[in-house]
Amino acid sequence: MINLNRNREPSFPAVRLLGCAATATLAFFVAWNALAQSRNAPVGPGERPDYGSEASKLLAVPATGVLPGAVPSPVDIKNPFEGDPGAVERGMKHFVNFNCVGCHAPNGAGGMGPSLSNNKWIHGDKPANIYLSIYQGRANGMPAWGSTLPSNVIWELVSYIESISQDPDHHFGKTISRNPQSPDIEQVPAQELQTATPWKHTQPFSNGRRP
Amino acid sequence: MTDLLPPILPVLRNGLRNRIIVGFSLCVGGWTLLWGQPLTGVFVLPSIVAAGLFFAGLLIGARPRGKSLLVGALPTLLLILTAPVVDAQDLVRLSQDDKQWVMPAKNYASTRYSGLNQITKDNVGQLKLAWSFSLGVPRGQEAAPLIVNNTMYVVTPYPNNVFALDATTGDLKWTYKPNTSPASQGVACCDVVNRGLAYDNGKIFLNTLDNHTIALDANTGKELWVTTLGDISRGQTLTMAPFAVKGKVMVGNSGGEMGVRGWVTALNEDDGKIAWRAYSTGPDSDVLIGSDFKPFYPQFKKKDLGVTTWPADAWKHGGGTMWGWLSYDSGLNLLYYGSANPGPWNEAQRPGDNLWTTTLFARNPDTGSAHWALQLNPHDTFDHDEINETLLLDLPIDGKPRKVAVHIGRDGFMWVVDRATGEALSVEPYDEQNAYKGFDYKTGRLMPNEEKKPSPQKTVHNICPTAPGAKDWQPSAWSPRTKLIYVPHQHLCMDWKSSEVGYIAGTPYVGATLDMYAASGGYRGEFLAWDPVQKKRVWAIKENFPVWSGTLVTAGDVAFYGTMDRWFKAVDATNGKVLWQFKAGSGIIGQPVTYQGSDGTQYVAILAGIGGWPGVIANAELDPRTRNGALGFTGAVQDLPAYTGAGSELLVFALPKSAPTSATPNGAEGNSDQPQ
Repeated sequence: MINLNRNREPSFPAVRLLGCAATATLAFFVAWNALAQSRNAPVGPGERPDYGSEASKLLAVPATGVLPGAVPSPVDIKNPFEGDPGAVERGMKHFVNFNCVGCHAPNGAGGMGPSLSNNKWIHGDKPANIYLSIYQGRANGMPAWGSTLPSNVIWELVSYIESISQDPDHHFGKTISRNPQSPDIEQVPAQELQTATPWKHTQPFSNGRRP
Repeated sequence: MTDLLPPILPVLRNGLRNRIIVGFSLCVGGWTLLWGQPLTGVFVLPSIVAAGLFFAGLLIGARPRGKSLLVGALPTLLLILTAPVVDAQDLVRLSQDDKQWVMPAKNYASTRYSGLNQITKDNVGQLKLAWSFSLGVPRGQEAAPLIVNNTMYVVTPYPNNVFALDATTGDLKWTYKPNTSPASQGVACCDVVNRGLAYDNGKIFLNTLDNHTIALDANTGKELWVTTLGDISRGQTLTMAPFAVKGKVMVGNSGGEMGVRGWVTALNEDDGKIAWRAYSTGPDSDVLIGSDFKPFYPQFKKKDLGVTTWPADAWKHGGGTMWGWLSYDSGLNLLYYGSANPGPWNEAQRPGDNLWTTTLFARNPDTGSAHWALQLNPHDTFDHDEINETLLLDLPIDGKPRKVAVHIGRDGFMWVVDRATGEALSVEPYDEQNAYKGFDYKTGRLMPNEEKKPSPQKTVHNICPTAPGAKDWQPSAWSPRTKLIYVPHQHLCMDWKSSEVGYIAGTPYVGATLDMYAASGGYRGEFLAWDPVQKKRVWAIKENFPVWSGTLVTAGDVAFYGTMDRWFKAVDATNGKVLWQFKAGSGIIGQPVTYQGSDGTQYVAILAGIGGWPGVIANAELDPRTRNGALGFTGAVQDLPAYTGAGSELLVFALPKSAPTSATPNGAEGNSDQPQ
């Protein structure tokens, strides 16, 4: 393990120095940008969270579950709107207004982008992971919204996404089968019911027929 | 010429035979090298003419005296000048050679009919897998393989890899892997599909999802040129198969769900430079509407309709892309295609007819100038793109032979149009229909059913056909033997709720919540045989899922198509009896083709691999329990993952070497997935 790490280290001090400088500069700019944005951000109802220190902490959020040396990440960033039902409702409006709905579909069904209605996450399930996926975009087509949306809008989107992803199926994996029928429920479709909690409104699975 | 003859005579006397042999050999060799074709068929005459010219050039060029150099160069120059004309004939000839399959539609008339008849309705039951090839990209396989001179060319979905294989043995000759941007996957509306390649004059033409059109050397796979045609940050992609005609390659863009402004662009085959671009919206100068434009109906004759039939500036994000099929009539020298839906889907944001979306165009392929246009769905309200194939047929209409274009509309109507004038001769529904009241022959307008018109924030129920239409991109075939059109299509209805949407470049511009489901009878797809003269259904095979594959019909009176629940089927083209079927590894949405290998055997090829708009539920991360996914298609196919998973396999079938000729249906029984 140690040998492996050593092999990957840069051999020249100059290269190492350059790497450190580059990382520091990058960190500074990202933090500065986030800070500047949070200052300009429209203030939502309730107490305004401290975006500044959040932004610098976000840099430390790992993008993978493999942590060398098995050292756990010290970062634990909470959604500043955690427990705020108003933020969920505002997030639902943002989801439509910023055309998230076009790719991820009503209720997060998925389409051009992956579904958000189940408990499967490609880039991590923590609020900070979801925040960063929206802020930075992702390589396979998720647009980078960091230069367009203020932090509080992104956190409200995180609140809404957490709400629609409350999958009632808590199995580790999904079973798909015609007989016995699995899955055996579906949501009441969005054209009939507009809600931020679609998993509270289900009906029997329709197998492609009219419900 | 009289001036030339006396000087030639002494040369003729000095070793005539040698010069003939050398000159003719050089010509044949040069011809074969230059154009890559053997001297057969209709090529013999131009070849002899060219040989004569070349020979004359050689003789005169060899003359020792002064002015002869220019004179000697003249025939060679003539040969070069005639080359483009000969090229066009080259592709025409290849497309008429049933050993080949040189464009996805088989020929410029888009009939997808092959005259090969080794495989017949009597022996097709013996069909066996000859070889297969894994494409390694498990997304929707919508492409048609091309077969040119015993080489098969296949393209994958994103990242759009190309494989060249020996069409008889399946040996891999070369592979080309473009460096396509992964982010382009995020702006492709309906899976990351590619519908095929184009071939002409020793080159293979490829469209990548991230807006590159690429020419490859057909023999070596070497990259010849790359042209960038769009920007994914503006929602543009390329998914259609390029279309080669008269030294140009035609490319249309995708992104009608992303506020893209649609166009067809012609690139020079030699260097990839843009020759012309015809937009589907905007001023006449952008749509290439000029003095040649003579539409049949008066409503299309006003100036700048691509601007005036929209709210201010809405045409700039108004759709009208072209991600489907083109046809070409060499006699009339006209190119035919239909444009896609207007954007956004929410019609309340774009009052007006929204020209020239959902419009059938006839254009001059040399200049792009429009000759006529016919808008099929004025002010489209249901995403009824009209990029579907247009078959160029000569049919008896009211007892008189007419040159027609048959466009199997997404709106659910079979449009039979005079292809010289743009007059609609008959417009008949071919599936369940309540979205429209029918076609008004006096005004030239399809009349909407006001009861089904969406209104903001109100859900309209049970609209038929759905957004993907009675038929989407999946191309039909025509048999001159049975006089029937074979139509693979879906059988669905939908609920629709419109809502306001803002334009943000690079994001979806839709404004509608959809939910689709099986139409009456509970089945979701159909393979239909339609008589375009009698204007009626002749027979149909009901399928559990939408029939999202293309089709092919042969002189053996066999039609082939695939199903989303993994069957590849051969049916009797005269009566629709299923004669043979093969259970593939994944659902089939590809385009079957047939050709003759170097061993003289007839082969049938198809790509298996579920996907496309209805198939993403089975090949990507979607939730079958949330019906509004995939722009509403999830509702109609939510059980598909219980029938198939993703795949990417090329399957090639042939009769056993000593095929019995008696009819023994094989595998046609036991189709337990069929709805009863």
